Amino acid sequence: MSISLFYLIAFLSIFFSVMVIFSKNPIHSVLYLIITFFTFTIHYILLNAQFLAIVNFIVYMGAIMVLFLFLLMLLNLNEDSEPMKSNLLKIAGVIAGMSLLITLVGSLKSLHISDPVILQTQDLGLVKNLGKVLFSEFLLPFEVSSILLLVAMVGAVLLAKKDTKRI
Amino acid sequence: MNTLITLSILAIVVLYLGLFKAKKALLPVTMFGLAAALGLAVIEWNSNAVPIYSGMMLFDNFAVAFSSICIFSSMLILLVSKDYFERISEHVAEYYAIIIFALAGIVVMVSYHNLSMLFIGIEIMSLSLYILAGIRKKNFASNEAALKYFLMGAFSTGFLLFGITLLYGATGSFDLLEIKQYVISNPTIISPLFYGGLLLLIIGLGFKVGVAPFHFWAPDVYEGSPTLITAFMSTVVKTAGFAAFLRIFLICFAPLHDFWMPPLLVMTVATLFIGNITALYQHSFKRMLTYSSVSHAGYMMFAIIALGTASVNAVFVYATAYSIASIIAFAVLILVKRQTGSDSFDSFNGLAKRNPFMAFTLTVAMLSLAGIPLTAGFIGKFMMFSSALSEYHIWLIVLAVVNAVIGIFYYLRVVVAMYFKDAERSIVAESPFFKVVLALSAIITIILGIYPGVISNLF
Repeated sequence: MSISLFYLIAFLSIFFSVMVIFSKNPIHSVLYLIITFFTFTIHYILLNAQFLAIVNFIVYMGAIMVLFLFLLMLLNLNEDSEPMKSNLLKIAGVIAGMSLLITLVGSLKSLHISDPVILQTQDLGLVKNLGKVLFSEFLLPFEVSSILLLVAMVGAVLLAKKDTKRI
Repeated sequence: MNTLITLSILAIVVLYLGLFKAKKALLPVTMFGLAAALGLAVIEWNSNAVPIYSGMMLFDNFAVAFSSICIFSSMLILLVSKDYFERISEHVAEYYAIIIFALAGIVVMVSYHNLSMLFIGIEIMSLSLYILAGIRKKNFASNEAALKYFLMGAFSTGFLLFGITLLYGATGSFDLLEIKQYVISNPTIISPLFYGGLLLLIIGLGFKVGVAPFHFWAPDVYEGSPTLITAFMSTVVKTAGFAAFLRIFLICFAPLHDFWMPPLLVMTVATLFIGNITALYQHSFKRMLTYSSVSHAGYMMFAIIALGTASVNAVFVYATAYSIASIIAFAVLILVKRQTGSDSFDSFNGLAKRNPFMAFTLTVAMLSLAGIPLTAGFIGKFMMFSSALSEYHIWLIVLAVVNAVIGIFYYLRVVVAMYFKDAERSIVAESPFFKVVLALSAIITIILGIYPGVISNLF
């Protein structure tokens, strides 16, 4: 059951990532990318990495991709305004693509079927373990991060706030 | 650790002062707090520090020396800031607070004992600088500087983080000592992941300190930012960046000398030539200083190339000399720009007649930056070159000397403008704070030049 689910999700990941590249409309591209990230989230859940799954879901799918989508809509890119690609770019693209293909073929040669991943400890990716490490060994970086967030907050307000006095 | 806590609390106190409109108290409180942090750092000297908080931080002599010089330079810069921020907007307290937060990040950066701390320290510092670069909200150059710095900085952080990840993948630890243990115990079978991580780390840190070919952001960002912030970026931040760079190489990567040497050599030579030759063609004093700061990054790379116990000393002396001299240059630039509204070399014409003291201190600074004997800059260059010579990098020294000669040419242009070109001008008003900073910095530069033993035998 789990294996067939994996293959289904893996197929969907590859399918949607290919769709990201092939769709003409950039907004569709971003939407496909969001779906691709969603399939990644399912992969993480299958691997029992709950924390990564949640972070991937909230941060990548939720925050970053939606931001990206808004930005694209604001930029108003569509097929008409797409700049013409010069021949030089096309040649460079072909060369780069061929190099990538050769690399992929080369790495395929050393491919072999690996043993299915067996987790040494079943609860490796749980939030509970992360919390334990974060509040014992990595307590200082965790606390110092608060300075980082405070700076970001103060700075964002400082830059976004309207100046009342002009000189 | 005490220094870090003091700085963090100080920044929050300053924010509250801003909230309660205590404008007059801002500078004294900041100065007092920084002095306290400096004192707390200095008393940790030779205290045989051990890594604290499960190996996250190690406040050893290295950390003490570099935190102290960074805090001291910031104090000099903030003394000059009297009446400077008020002209930009009324949110003065926030500017002070962000500078102090950046200093807290710098303290983390120079005392890290774990790569996660390095990352967080660099991020705190960089984030503060992205904001500071853009505080002139209505000025396009400032906006451009902030955006450019943010994009390039975020990009380079990606490299740094990827490098750290690969190092973790190879060694299984973020701890510097365990990485060192890994390098020592596997001299022949070091994982390729490790090499990849090391290269990415060099790229990430190279971006942060602005060495070629990762220096492209530096001139635009330094020129677009408000001059005082440029002074902060090109002195304190550069010192901290090199301290972080040196620390990880000194502790972890010294045995892999043969691997990272060639790329760093190429980077150094490229930095020297690009920095110096481009500086030659500048007509703006500020832009010349930004390129000269790129070239000084090249000189400081010498210490990493000739890695050894002497290199800490060399970087420390060089960074001190360079920071102090740059602070003079930027302070004078602020005053001249305030009067003439331009930062070209021509706006310095005839300064010596009207403001002999200011012209003299700027001359001392320029001589120090050029590396003329009897100034601190000479001692810095001397220590850098002698450490490289001890490793038999003869041709590197030859190239560096050629660059130093090019440097003398453009540094003396402003001196020539001040003393030998006449122009109708009125006296540039200088506040007592400026006088104190200029005098103190010039005295330090000359004392270090005549009697370098004060700080050159610390380690």
